[in-house]
Amino acid sequence: MDLPEVQAAQTDRTLDFEEAGPTAVRMLLGARLRRLRESARISQEDAGYAIRGSESKISRMELGRTGFKQRDVVDLVELYGVSEDERATLLAMAGHANSPGWWQAYSEAIPAWFEPYLGLEQAAEVIRTYQVQFVPGLLQTPAYAHAVLRIGAEDRSGLITNLRASLRMRRQQILHRPNPPRLWAVIDEAALRRPIGGPDVARGQLAHLIKMARLSNVNIQVAPFSSGSQAIAGGPITMLRFPEAELTDVVYLEQLTSALYLSKPAERLYYWNVLNRLATEAPPPTETEATLRGLLREI
Amino acid sequence: MAKDSDLPSSAPFAEIDTTVPVSARIWNYWLGGKDYYPVDKEAGDQFARFYPGIFDGARASRYFIARAVSYLVREAGIRQFLDIGTGLPTHDNTHQIAQRAAPDCRIVYADNDPLVLAHARALLTSSTEGSTDYIDADLNDPDALLPIAREKLDFGRPVAIMLMGILGHIGDPAQDDDRVAQSIVGTLKAALPSGGYLAIYDSANTGSGLNAALHSYNESGAAPYRVRRVDQIVRFFDGLELVEPGVVPIQQWRPDHSPFGTPQQMSNNLGGVARKP
Repeated sequence: MDLPEVQAAQTDRTLDFEEAGPTAVRMLLGARLRRLRESARISQEDAGYAIRGSESKISRMELGRTGFKQRDVVDLVELYGVSEDERATLLAMAGHANSPGWWQAYSEAIPAWFEPYLGLEQAAEVIRTYQVQFVPGLLQTPAYAHAVLRIGAEDRSGLITNLRASLRMRRQQILHRPNPPRLWAVIDEAALRRPIGGPDVARGQLAHLIKMARLSNVNIQVAPFSSGSQAIAGGPITMLRFPEAELTDVVYLEQLTSALYLSKPAERLYYWNVLNRLATEAPPPTETEATLRGLLREI
Repeated sequence: MAKDSDLPSSAPFAEIDTTVPVSARIWNYWLGGKDYYPVDKEAGDQFARFYPGIFDGARASRYFIARAVSYLVREAGIRQFLDIGTGLPTHDNTHQIAQRAAPDCRIVYADNDPLVLAHARALLTSSTEGSTDYIDADLNDPDALLPIAREKLDFGRPVAIMLMGILGHIGDPAQDDDRVAQSIVGTLKAALPSGGYLAIYDSANTGSGLNAALHSYNESGAAPYRVRRVDQIVRFFDGLELVEPGVVPIQQWRPDHSPFGTPQQMSNNLGGVARKP
């Protein structure tokens, strides 16, 4: 094997800007700008001054928390002294960082706190998730998704529920695209025993999980009641890993009416460790199909 | 769910120890990965203070593995691999390199670290007509490891056994004339069918910086890693036919043609690939 192939295999996995949407591109562009600024040994304060802004504006840009004005990026790359090629890439990214993702069509049904997750999920290389209450969204059947989304839905017409269910199905396409992300899910036994939508829906869902678990990029482990780490998890956890070395993992904690996005080192470490404990304590994925078949027989 | 007693072989895993550094996680740090604990980074940085070349050396060792596996598939015609001491998944893992060269390659990874096994099972899967499999086994006990490997690979046909940077964890070459490691490698060589291959790289005691780095590393609580004399590394291949260029610094082992030549600064890692007659 020769070196260029190693590199080609790595670039395969870089972001597809069209699919990834603005959130992930902002984070990536921000991380690159921070690296360039640091290697040019320029302070956030001086960089902020160069774009007629403050230290905190640079800080927000570098964390990917805001959109990018082309003019600001032009001035920063000038200040940092980057090559012509990299300059063009960075400016193209700045353009993508402001354009809406494909899910714009579903905007009515997307709460503001969920929108960033969509972009990140589409850009991820590895999606690790632990679910206690429900089957993970990426593995739900349409009927199960409808049943889950109807719980607590306030729209009487069902329009929003339908839109949310079809958004969920659209999200799932990432698992079947060429060069798909890897989904590593630990599902609590309790989630699989909860008869969401009635026996037919539950059976359909279990059969779907059996089928999905056979995909080479999908890895499912079922955490039995006897496993001890559920308590330290507290609730559902999703951790997204991106192909770029400069992007750190993002931990996503969904609550009933909001979500937390954690990217501070100590927080990431805590949840990474919880996911590791859950995955090492649950039976290995080779046992999942037998477990699911057992559950299927009991319904 | 089936009752616990119905589940096959769900023996409890060993727990992840986050209080002492672990080799696989330190390597992940050196290789620029994201799967390590603070204690691993600390040990990795401490090592690098004495031996700053470790970051490049870690990459060089991955490139050596890639060239060795590629050689074994393309030139030696090997389709079955037993990779012992897998480590955490990285960017170009054995099965990806092998299956890119020949999609029908079967790879069995063996490791005994719970975090490595969980990651390998989840992330090192193949999507081709070949396959990857994982066994929870310890190189210190080859008599337990081999029967499990035999269930997954056909030892009636050529197999390549890979010991990449793991023998430093085995035995103490200074204490017993290296009997422990030589005996373990001997057991593996005996299991190889004719036409099978053994691929090894490991660290030689050819630099004082490395010795100082290892001294501090071995004090850190991580599983100790010990360097060998060059002749001790060469002896692992006794009874086999080394392919060209023999046992050499890993950068010199069949380097890719590059307009920039082969790197001048050589690592302490020696590697080789040999065929069982």
